[in-house]
Amino acid sequence: MRAQGRLADLTTVPAADHVCWVYDDDASFDAAVRDFIEAGLARGDRLLCVGERVIDSLRGQHALLRDVESLLAEGALETLTVAQAYDATGHFCPERQLEFYGTATRRALADGYRGLRVVADVSPLADQPALLSDLLRWEHLADEYIAHGSGFSAMCAYRGELGTDFLGEAASAHPVVHAPDGLPSFRLFFDDGRLAVAGSVDTFSAALMSRALAGCPVTGPRTRLDLRRVEFLDVAACRVLALWAADLRERSVDVEIHGAPHLVRRMWQLLDLSDIAPVSFVEESA
Amino acid sequence: MSTLTRPDVPAPGFDHEALLYRGDADFLDGVVPFVRDGLARDEAVVVAEPRARLDLLRDALADDAAAVRFLDMAEIGANPARIIGVWASAVEEHTGSGQGLRGVGEPAWYGRRAVELEECQLHEQLLNHAFDDGPAWRLMCPYDEQHMPRTVVRGALAAHPVRSTTADRTPSDHYAYDGHAAAFAAPLVVPTEAVLRGSFGADDIPATRRTVAQYARSCGLPDDQVEVLELAASELAANSIRHGGGQGSVAMWLEPGAVVVEFTDAGLVLDPLVGRRTPRPDQDGGHGLYLVNQLCDLVQVRSSPAGTTVRISTWF
Repeated sequence: MRAQGRLADLTTVPAADHVCWVYDDDASFDAAVRDFIEAGLARGDRLLCVGERVIDSLRGQHALLRDVESLLAEGALETLTVAQAYDATGHFCPERQLEFYGTATRRALADGYRGLRVVADVSPLADQPALLSDLLRWEHLADEYIAHGSGFSAMCAYRGELGTDFLGEAASAHPVVHAPDGLPSFRLFFDDGRLAVAGSVDTFSAALMSRALAGCPVTGPRTRLDLRRVEFLDVAACRVLALWAADLRERSVDVEIHGAPHLVRRMWQLLDLSDIAPVSFVEESA
Repeated sequence: MSTLTRPDVPAPGFDHEALLYRGDADFLDGVVPFVRDGLARDEAVVVAEPRARLDLLRDALADDAAAVRFLDMAEIGANPARIIGVWASAVEEHTGSGQGLRGVGEPAWYGRRAVELEECQLHEQLLNHAFDDGPAWRLMCPYDEQHMPRTVVRGALAAHPVRSTTADRTPSDHYAYDGHAAAFAAPLVVPTEAVLRGSFGADDIPATRRTVAQYARSCGLPDDQVEVLELAASELAANSIRHGGGQGSVAMWLEPGAVVVEFTDAGLVLDPLVGRRTPRPDQDGGHGLYLVNQLCDLVQVRSSPAGTTVRISTWF
C-alpha cells in the first residue's frame, strides 16, 4: 500500500511520494523543502524545484547533505520559476503538464537517476480562480502517474491564506497531507491500480467527492474503487459513488468496488443504488 | 359480505379492515376465507404475520398456500415505519399489472413492547393516508382481542374504517380519518432516566456522529449496531441542519433493554409519511430517514410547530 495520511504520522518522509503541504510560516516550509529534497537525494532522484518561493527556500538551505551550487552544476538539481514551468506550456492544461513532467521524469531515468522528485509551490496558480478546476484535475492526473511507479514524486505546496475551502479540496487530491487544519475529511488517490478513498464523506462533503471523482482519470474498460481505508460514508456519499459509476457506465467503463464496509453494501441494497449503476462488490479486508 | 362505505371514509380505493379474533381457530376462521376469496378472484395475496401465525395459516390453507406470498412480520415490521414501504411495493407490483391485491398484516402482535405497539397504532393510522388516493386493494389487520391491552384494541378501531369479527363486518364507529395528525404531533414520553444532552451546528456533524457511536459502544452494543447508530446520527443531524433551522440537539439515555438516541430540532415536518415510502434511487433527498427506518430497531418521528423529534431505540 502507498504511504498515506498525515505527513507527521509517517515514520519516514521518503515513503511519501505525493504530499500536499499547506504552509503558513517560512521556517516550517523551509524545513519541509529540506526534508523532501534530502529524501530525494538519498534515493538518488533528480530534484526539480518549481516556484520562486521554493527556489528562495533552496538558496537559504545550509544544512543540505550536498551544497546547492554543485547539485545545480552537475544537473542533479534543476529549478524553474512558475512562469517557466506552467506558462511555458501555454494555457495551463493538465494533460500538457503530465507530458512535461513525464518527459522530465524519463530524462532523469535516462540520465541514471532513480526518478524525478519535484517540490512545487502551486500557490500562484491557485490564486487564479479560472485555473482552479484544471489545477485540481492536474493533481489527480499527477497522482495516478506517481502511483503508477513512474519514478515521479512530488510535494505540492500551497499558501495557507488561499482559503480553507480550496485548500481542503486540493488536499483531498493527495495521499499525504501536512496542513494546519489536519487531514481533509477525505482523500482520493491512486494505489495499486485502484482509486482509493480514505477518511469520511457525509452529505456536506459529498459534492466535493463528486467533483474529485469527476476529475480522476479513468482508463480501460474497468475501474476499481478501493474503500478499505474509508472511516465513514453516509447516504449522500454512496449516491455520489453510484452516480459516478453511472457516468462511467455511459462511457462503457465498469466499476468494481473493493473492500466496501458492510454497511455501505447494505445501503446500496436498501436504496436500490444498483438501479442507478450496477457495480460489482469484491470483499477485501483492510 | 359487501364492502362498506361511510360518508367520512375517503374514496373506496383502499379497504382497511381490523379483524378482531379470539384464539387460533377464530383467527383462521377470519383470515382463511379472506385469503381464499382473494385467490378465487385471481388477486395477488400477501400475508405478513409473525412466524408462528404464518405456519398456522400455511397449514390451514394446505394446497392454496402455494399461491400466497408469506412475509415474516417480525422482520419487515420490526420497526413499524418500514411496513408501508412493503405494502407500497406490493401495490405497485400487482395493481400496476392490472391484478387485484389483498393483504393480511398483523403488526401489533401479542408480546410486543408497549412503545412498539404505540408505533403500530400510528402506522395503522398512516396507512389510510398512504393509500387513500391510489389503486383499490384490501388490507385485513388481525388483532388478538383476547390478549392485547384494551388500549391497543381501541386504537385499532380508531385506525380502521372497518371492523370485523368472524360473525360480522361493520363500519368502525371509532374510526378517525385524521387521527394520525394528533398522534404525529403528540410529544413522546419524556425519559425518566439520566440523559446525556448536547447541541450541534453545521460544523459539528462528524463530532456528533462520533459522540453517538462512542455512547453506543460504551453501552455495550456490538459493532454493527454502533455503526448503524453512527450513520443514523449523521443523517438525522444533517436533516436538522438542512431542514430544522440549522441546528439541533441530541439526547442519549439507557432504558431497560434499550439504548435510546434522540434528535430534536425546530423544524416542522409537514408530511407524516416522511421516511416510510421507498424513495426512487434517482430522487434527490428523502433517502436519509428512509434508511434510518430500514436499519434501526425502532424509529419514532413526531413533529409539531414546537419542533421535530426523531427517537431511535436499539434493543439489547
